[in-house]
Amino acid sequence: MAKFDKARKINNVLHRDLGYFFAALIIAYSISGIALNHMDNWNPDFVITKKEIALDRRYDNNDITPDRIEAFSALAGENGFRLYDFPSERQVKIYYRNATMQIDLASGKGTYEKVSRRPLFYQVNVLHRNSVEWWKWVSDLFALMLIAITVTGMFMLRGNNGLKGRGKWLLAAGTIPPLIAVIAQQF
Amino acid sequence: MPCNFNFFRCMQFLMLLLITACTSGENPAADGNPENEGTKKTAILLINHGSRSNEWKRQLLELERRVSSRVAAIEGIDTLATAFMEHAEPSIAASLRNLDRKGYTDIIVIPVFLSVGTHVFDDIPTIFGQKQNPTTIEQMKLDGIEHYIPLARTHLSRPLEFSELIGKNVLRRAQALSANPSEEGLVLVGYGSSGFQENWEHLFRNTGKQVCKEGGFGGYTTAWCGHVAHYSPDSTASAIRRILKKHERAIVIPLLVSFSEKFQIGIIGEGVNAVDDNEKRVRYKPDSILPDGELEAWIVKMAKTHAAAIQTGKTLQ
Repeated sequence: MAKFDKARKINNVLHRDLGYFFAALIIAYSISGIALNHMDNWNPDFVITKKEIALDRRYDNNDITPDRIEAFSALAGENGFRLYDFPSERQVKIYYRNATMQIDLASGKGTYEKVSRRPLFYQVNVLHRNSVEWWKWVSDLFALMLIAITVTGMFMLRGNNGLKGRGKWLLAAGTIPPLIAVIAQQF
Repeated sequence: MPCNFNFFRCMQFLMLLLITACTSGENPAADGNPENEGTKKTAILLINHGSRSNEWKRQLLELERRVSSRVAAIEGIDTLATAFMEHAEPSIAASLRNLDRKGYTDIIVIPVFLSVGTHVFDDIPTIFGQKQNPTTIEQMKLDGIEHYIPLARTHLSRPLEFSELIGKNVLRRAQALSANPSEEGLVLVGYGSSGFQENWEHLFRNTGKQVCKEGGFGGYTTAWCGHVAHYSPDSTASAIRRILKKHERAIVIPLLVSFSEKFQIGIIGEGVNAVDDNEKRVRYKPDSILPDGELEAWIVKMAKTHAAAIQTGKTLQ
């Protein structure tokens, strides 16, 4: 019995210390997970600020000169530009340091877009996407440690609140949502 | 007579000599300085999107193999290579670096992409420094796609859209699946592009009209399987249902450059399977634009056109 008590003590210490150590990363991955789950509905990495631009009149592709591009840029509050190019016959795209402006010359309307990193989300998404090459190995270790935290968590308590008591029912209940999702996917 | 020997001058000279010797060994384009017109070395780089699918990569490498002897025979072309924008190696940056190391002075970049989209218009030119699109720069940092500005001059060619081969390719594949064209309608499934959707729809409309006219098919419609359709099979399934309301059978053609299990089987295939009575009324082969002899000929033509322009010093639009 004393042998089991000692093992349980080690188990609980492991659960506690791994929990403390990985707390920041668990929260970071959770925030990023929610953000990336909804990437079809929003941009989790960047804030794109848009501004509608209306030119004084319609233009033709041949009317476009660097001076005219400067004048268009001034409408968006830009003093200069880096480059411009034509995505199609009736469109011109102007590039700035942190922004671009795409103008439909035929309608005289355009959109100015400024890109900036979404604070906190960008940084946690960098980790979640393994954008740093070596981070995938840390990420693998983290995944293994999450398994360790989960397994040690199941054996922390004895009696009615342990795995043999309410634990087994909650464990079984927790498998139901993923099972339903997997079965639903088959149909 | 005073001694004119200046120790420090001598050391400066020796240092300069040493630095020159070292840097001339390091400079990959030392033999092929773009300013040195007498030593032109030109490479062709076939660029494609890239995929985790081995079959995607195999088809693109096979394309390189099939055109290599014809491209090598073009005057002024010294080598041919393939690079992948993402999800496969070699990357564009690695390939450009390699060509720089070998002293190439000019690199003709041929995008094996269906149409103008964000990748061809912004991403690829940003990777090799022709453009600096801020969104692309930030996104590529996140995706781990490297930038590399080559010492060699780069010449970016147009994508496949600006050739007649798409229509011919679709006609050939549709006819291979057809039993009676007048009873059948076409479903053209493409990747789509959020920023250039108008261009894509225009290309698909023209292709659909051309194939219907030349092949005698009853009609056509389009569907998307990429980001614009959230990678869902629903767009394909809806398009097939639209065709089946008017025609006896639907012929589904994926307008994707190469084959990827994710798209041809996973997304488009699932869209086909979601349609009632699909076994009798839908004809679908999970293939791609490649392999295509016309596409090979188009690459050779692009290579010839750009090589001639480089030799005569002309700039192509």
